[in-house]
Amino acid sequence: MSKVQPPLGPMVWTHLNREIAELRIALITTAGLHFRDAPGFEFIDSTFRPISGSEDADNLVMSHSSVNFDKVGFTEDVNLVFPIDRFRELEADGKIGSLAEIHYSFMGAGLNPEAYATSASQVAGLLKQDKVDAVFLTPV
Amino acid sequence: MTTGISLVRENAESMQPPRTLWVSFPLGRPLGKPDDAAFQHRVIDAALKLLRAPSGPVLADFPEDAPPAGLNDAPACPVSFSKPTEDNDSWNAALRAELQTLVPWHDLGKRRRAGRSLVGVSGYSMTENIEKLGTLLDNETLPIAELKWFKSAIEDAKVFYLEALTAQPGRYNQEQLERLFWHETALGTAILKFNKMFTAHAELSYMSRIIVPRTVLT
Repeated sequence: MSKVQPPLGPMVWTHLNREIAELRIALITTAGLHFRDAPGFEFIDSTFRPISGSEDADNLVMSHSSVNFDKVGFTEDVNLVFPIDRFRELEADGKIGSLAEIHYSFMGAGLNPEAYATSASQVAGLLKQDKVDAVFLTPV
Repeated sequence: MTTGISLVRENAESMQPPRTLWVSFPLGRPLGKPDDAAFQHRVIDAALKLLRAPSGPVLADFPEDAPPAGLNDAPACPVSFSKPTEDNDSWNAALRAELQTLVPWHDLGKRRRAGRSLVGVSGYSMTENIEKLGTLLDNETLPIAELKWFKSAIEDAKVFYLEALTAQPGRYNQEQLERLFWHETALGTAILKFNKMFTAHAELSYMSRIIVPRTVLT
């Protein structure tokens, strides 16, 4: 896939209408993370996995299909890819309002963005249900 | 609303998500430095601040780098590998022997990391995977009916090796580790042999690109 891609679509912009300290935030990663007992991702896969905020993130594994990046950094520290402990600290310090009940993981390889449209809209519905105000996106 | 990190500036520039913080870190390390909470917080704060931008799309550059460890900074390699060759009498035996030298180091690394390891995604033990990979090479056969197992088995094996080689605490140079894995281990040589076999296969040549990094092939 080329590094240069067409724009994602018509520009969408939501103004921040309150303090960051009042926002409920979810994490979404494209690192192909999941708990060991959840099904791994296929070579090419537009589905997603939920990551419960109440489970121990140290039990997360990665089945991203790319071989072009270092995975041992993630073994060393989950937060290098999925900064859940950092966000828990922000929540405890009152720097964000709260953390979502559930975060989400996609596997970003081998597909153009439009292939994720159905899954992304499903996740958007789940985030609304969880009253999430903002999403923090991390690649790998 | 969204904010987030990009490791590839060209992606963010062209795709124009509403708010993006570009970081200069290597792929696989979007928060920059493992076990450095202060550094990770600076990255997160910079990305969260973009939520306050009055209009977008916003693409900001994080001002700090996360330089890799120097070649001489990393702890010494705990294992001496035999010079690998593509003409092994028995790949099965060579890979099993190499695995045995790494098991104690992997155990040590796992204990240091409080039991954490990424190995096991394939659903089979390292011994099962290594023996099966060795037998495939001894028979000069590709796992045509088990491609998903094959991909996850070699990923498991590579992660096992790298977790073993980084068992001791310290900062490691990733390029040095990759060079060691691909050019000095029997497993690296074995995967490169599979790569050649897949490249020559009319329908499965795409597999060659998803088992060996671009940087090793160029």
